[in-house]
Amino acid sequence: MNSEPKSIMLVVLVSAIATAIPRFIPYFSKYINKLPDWVTEKLALLPIAALGALIFPFVILDFPTVWFAGLCGVGAAFFLGFLKQNMIVSIIASIMVTYAILII
Amino acid sequence: MKRSIDNTIVLMKILDDLTIKDGISDGFPILLGYFSTAVAFGLICRNINITFFSAVLMSATSVAGSGQFLAINLYSTGTFIVELFISVMLINFRYVFMGMSINNKLDKDISFLQRCLVAFITTDEVFSVASLRNQNLNFKYVFSMQLTAYTGWVVGTGIGYVIGTVLPQSLQAAMGVTLYAMFASLWASEVRKDGFPILSIGLISAAINSFLVCICELSAGWSFVIAMVSASWIGSYIVKRKN
Repeated sequence: MNSEPKSIMLVVLVSAIATAIPRFIPYFSKYINKLPDWVTEKLALLPIAALGALIFPFVILDFPTVWFAGLCGVGAAFFLGFLKQNMIVSIIASIMVTYAILII
Repeated sequence: MKRSIDNTIVLMKILDDLTIKDGISDGFPILLGYFSTAVAFGLICRNINITFFSAVLMSATSVAGSGQFLAINLYSTGTFIVELFISVMLINFRYVFMGMSINNKLDKDISFLQRCLVAFITTDEVFSVASLRNQNLNFKYVFSMQLTAYTGWVVGTGIGYVIGTVLPQSLQAAMGVTLYAMFASLWASEVRKDGFPILSIGLISAAINSFLVCICELSAGWSFVIAMVSASWIGSYIVKRKN
């Protein structure tokens, strides 16, 4: 894994700028209030649509030795999240499931 | 009669002037919520071997849950910086709408610097709490709430990183699942609230992304952008049909 300090600083900077732009637009622009409805409704779904793509396929590709190890962990986290568990509880359970599968 | 008019005036005054104390007490539940998510972020940063300083600096400058997780994820899969920029901006685009709403309720005599400070810490939770106050918002209320939430986010990141450092070596491989577990738990809580459409939108983007990465061998960043945009496009029709 690549961890040169230079490139992570660039990531920190780019992330900060890419987050600040959408935050500052509405406070300093008078035109953004007129986005058409069909654009707004799609933009509202972007964060949800991101989640699926953030998990797959890398949760499988990241565990080349036992391909389903991460998948089972994610399944556990999803299940607990669905039962309204705290995120940390879900994550710890997920790590434990993955750990158990990897050492078996 | 006069008395009731006086009372009404007093009541209106209370409704008008939100204090710093209101801000802190409204921000405190957000602080608690952010804390656990930030601990998860700190853990992940430790896990992919970025420095303590960078992890905390990222939380302090971005202050964005999913945006930061995305940036770190793309960084660890070796994505180009342009793709990272576009992806993070797209996922954060919702802040435009939240900012529009807060801006409309904010006192008009607020200074340029104050406006910048409020804009800088616009988040989903700050937006929803501020919206629940059905009244004009002054700077000291909004900013003290934001600052309370911000503290939870930055301190939580540091603590999560330290927890990651003291964890036994044997757990390190399994720790690779942390980021995905966090996304899955976010997704699950959205599915619980809104049901089938949310589940299917996630599955569609998962399928498109897997196809683009594994079969088309596209880079992680671009396939992510394509999967995210096309799934939300398709998703808007699913949501419409359901309603």
